[in-house]
Amino acid sequence: MKSLVLVKQVPSADSPFRLNSSGTWIEEGNLTFGLNDYDRYALEALLKLKDAGKVAEVVALTVGPERAATVLRTCLATGADRAIHVKDAALEGSDPLSLAKVIKAAIQGEGFSLIMAGLQADDDNYGQIGPLLARLLDRPSATAAMGLELRDGTTVRVEREMENNRLLVVDLTLPAVITVQTGINEPRYASLKGIMAAKKKEIRTVALKDLGLDAAEVGGRAARLRTVRLASPPKGKGAEILKGPADEIARELVKRIREKTGVI
Amino acid sequence: MPCKVLVLAEHEGGAVAGITYELLGMAHRVAGEMGWAPAEIKALLIGSGIAGAAAEIAARGAAEVIVAEGPAVQGYTGDAWHRVVEAVAKSESPEMVLFGHTPNGWDVAPLVAAGLGVPLATECSAIARESGAFRFSRKAFNGKFVQVIDLGTARPLLATMQKGAAPAFSAATRGRVRPVPAGVGEADLRARFVEIKKGQAGAVDLTQAAIIVSGGRGLGGADKFAVIRDLAQALGGQVGASRPVTDMGWLPHEHQVGSSGVTVSPKLYIACGISGAIQHIVGMRGSGYIVAINKDAEAPIFGVADVGVVGDLFEIVPALTKAVKEAKG
Ligand SMILES: Cc1cc2nc3c(=O)[nH]c(=O)nc-3n(C[C@H](O)[C@H](O)[C@H](O)COP(=O)(O)OP(=O)(O)OC[C@H]3O[C@@H](n4cnc5c(N)ncnc54)[C@H](O)[C@@H]3O)c2cc1C
Ligand SMILES: Nc1ncnc2c1ncn2[C@@H]1O[C@H](COP(=O)(O)O)[C@@H](O)[C@H]1O
Repeated sequence: MKSLVLVKQVPSADSPFRLNSSGTWIEEGNLTFGLNDYDRYALEALLKLKDAGKVAEVVALTVGPERAATVLRTCLATGADRAIHVKDAALEGSDPLSLAKVIKAAIQGEGFSLIMAGLQADDDNYGQIGPLLARLLDRPSATAAMGLELRDGTTVRVEREMENNRLLVVDLTLPAVITVQTGINEPRYASLKGIMAAKKKEIRTVALKDLGLDAAEVGGRAARLRTVRLASPPKGKGAEILKGPADEIARELVKRIREKTGVI
Repeated sequence: MPCKVLVLAEHEGGAVAGITYELLGMAHRVAGEMGWAPAEIKALLIGSGIAGAAAEIAARGAAEVIVAEGPAVQGYTGDAWHRVVEAVAKSESPEMVLFGHTPNGWDVAPLVAAGLGVPLATECSAIARESGAFRFSRKAFNGKFVQVIDLGTARPLLATMQKGAAPAFSAATRGRVRPVPAGVGEADLRARFVEIKKGQAGAVDLTQAAIIVSGGRGLGGADKFAVIRDLAQALGGQVGASRPVTDMGWLPHEHQVGSSGVTVSPKLYIACGISGAIQHIVGMRGSGYIVAINKDAEAPIFGVADVGVVGDLFEIVPALTKAVKEAKG
């Protein structure tokens, strides 16, 4: 059984986030990037199935600029077998539906039975690509998996996270697309051996023309979902902020906690 | 009657979910702004055993409740639901379709978007008219920014709305209920609903705690949690956590506070090294008194806290533990 994991390179959470000059996105120059957290869990889910002998091949795919190749290398070093990098300057700013069309074209003929993605990307937080792709492929899907079990060669059982600590259990007929919630497993890290082995693994780079797609349809210029602006979030009522040396602050806190709650 | 706004109703075993009325509240607000008649606001209700729910929704905001009932849609699957929503969206041709940003609303909305070939705005907190177009506000970068997006001229406009984005519609209406064939046969489906079950349960029950000291990703590791435990112990309280802490196995799942963990309302909640993502805040904002300790002055947690300290938790928390012990004598 062949499997695919969709991965995205996103700014690391501890990067300095600043608005760009036009106020439409963040300034990328001073950021550090890494593999989207959700995608690490998605990859691990497939690697586990591979360890168990249920999946024969794990392929990682990203759509992104040159720098995004790093996350593919991370996937290969962690255990993915090969990678596909869709790279085309015209794709900058493409909207989710266009990206899903590009991904569909890039995997045509591959015959993946199990396609995994993250529930959401840590930058845009859209949470769309997985189910969009499923619908374009006309295959069933399930989002926010916290449990995953291949029942046999034709069915996968997914436990989807609901609110209030409940799970919705659903059986999907393969091929299927599943997005993963964080915490579903414990993602492994690349070993030294894995990093060495990755050097021999293939990253195939493809551009829009290789996919027979037209930038006028799926490129950034054609995006219908468009960011008008990005702004700092509105401040809430705001806490009273205590200042001073730690021990003074601590005594002040105790005083307030005592007055306001009576628990001390 | 034509339809301008279509709302996907949510229910649990026939009990209408609160988000449905919030979506109707949003629909009425948008319609009011656009001069659309309230009669053009419709809800779609999918499931089985939902006659009561349909009547309730018709009495509280929807001019028409379109009811798709049948065995194939008895339990939620994206595979079944999206077919119904797409078919109704095509026959009603609304300007806008609103979904809840709930586990199932967020699951089905992208399927519908791809099926109809239109863009979708997820997790929206507001819809406003700007320069003659609808603009959708949502958070990006996990709440570090508000993103305002435009969906262009394609119709319908699709959005999933965060809880609390609009007040629930509360006036009485006299809408009608119109059954339609679900149009989905069990044989067509590639997904089968199995059940809804409880997640993991553990020994700790935070819902009853009077004092909770919570740690977040800012702790940096399971071994660092001693500072949190010490403070909790000194106060006679329980230890809580944000999601990354339980995801990474620093603490068992039952300690997780938030939308996918437990909702707590202690007299005192102390959040240490927690940024204050909306999914965490919804689980603890009902606390009596909230203390936040975070090294980032911009962290949204300070927006819900009563008192805050901007600084290193590894300095502040031990100092607080010491001060609590002294105060208790
Ligand atoms: C469907 C869904 C459901 C979710 N459910 C939940 C849920 O139930 N509960 C939940 O909590 N989250 C939930 N989340 C995740 C949520 O969106 C956030 O990712 C999460 O709450 C962030 O946790 P955090 O604040 O600990 O980590 P971060 O956001 O990484 O914040 C860490 C904070 O620690 C601070 N810090 C670092 N070092 C120090 C130091 N030495 N001293 C002081 N401060 C320091 C940083 O400034 C930062 O603000 C959910 C997400 C999704 C998509
Ligand atoms: N550019 C991309 N290339 C490959 N996969 C992506 C890309 N963007 C998003 N994804 C996948 O889709 C998931 C959800 O992303 P999003 O819909 O942007 O929140 C991510 O976790 C990835 O698995």
